[in-house]
Amino acid sequence: MTSGDRIVIAIVAVAAIVSWPVVRMAAGAGPADTVVITGPSLIRRLPLDSSERLVVNGVKGAVTVVVRNRSVHIVEADCPDQSCVHQGRIGSRGQTIVCAPNGVSVWIGGGEDAPDAVVR
Amino acid sequence: MHPTRSYADARTIALTAMLVAVGAILGLLESAVVPPLPVPGIRIGLANLAVVLALTVGGRVMALRVSLLRVLIVAVATGALGGPGMLMALAGASASWATMAVLSMNTSISPIGWSVAGAAMHILAQLAVASLLTGTMTPLFLAPIGLALATICGLCIGYSARLLISRLPLEQMVMDSR
Repeated sequence: MTSGDRIVIAIVAVAAIVSWPVVRMAAGAGPADTVVITGPSLIRRLPLDSSERLVVNGVKGAVTVVVRNRSVHIVEADCPDQSCVHQGRIGSRGQTIVCAPNGVSVWIGGGEDAPDAVVR
Repeated sequence: MHPTRSYADARTIALTAMLVAVGAILGLLESAVVPPLPVPGIRIGLANLAVVLALTVGGRVMALRVSLLRVLIVAVATGALGGPGMLMALAGASASWATMAVLSMNTSISPIGWSVAGAAMHILAQLAVASLLTGTMTPLFLAPIGLALATICGLCIGYSARLLISRLPLEQMVMDSR
């Protein structure tokens, strides 16, 4: 390992460490209470305390998001790898489940949180 | 046809093909393993090993060919041709090649450094494309963990590349066109 390598590794490691609080701030501070579900043609905010089953029309098909017992998970989705379904439940602020093939993302925020911008 | 020139071309083709095969196999292995981050289609970056080897032994152009071709082959083999997974993989491969190519021009950075930087850009580019695809910032929130994983993976790949280069007679294939 050369001295140049050490600098590169240090830069990447520092970036990883520094981006942590930045991401925490972007996800907001405070109690988690809102589920933000974004799809190609919709954006919905649901209270985390609710009991809802939402079917989102994604790019490839339908994605079913269930909010229950203060947790959210994707029950089924029309996508090839199903990793969004296998991910299980999320329950705390800043956590996300993403179904990239469908363009659907589920995110837990709080209060006045919302994505800063939605690009179509 | 000039005999010397076609001899060099044959070696370039053979070496490129071999490295593309290595990259494609590693890429297929990656896609069969559980994703490291909760974003579908994200990859750890094992296939970067082939690109780092290509960069060390064959030069920047060969490394570019290897990285783009292995994305294509893996996309065809996994049936994700033209899909979001392939877009993310292309973005990751291009960003990581560009970074590694630039770093390789600096003599004080070894393949280990290229590999760590390449892995970091690979992950960031994939997260960026995932963000664009979903239209939100949420995949980007995975950047801290992604970068941490990239550092570890980049180090492993970098050391593996160095080990391979010291044990295999790849020096015999070093191209003058580097």
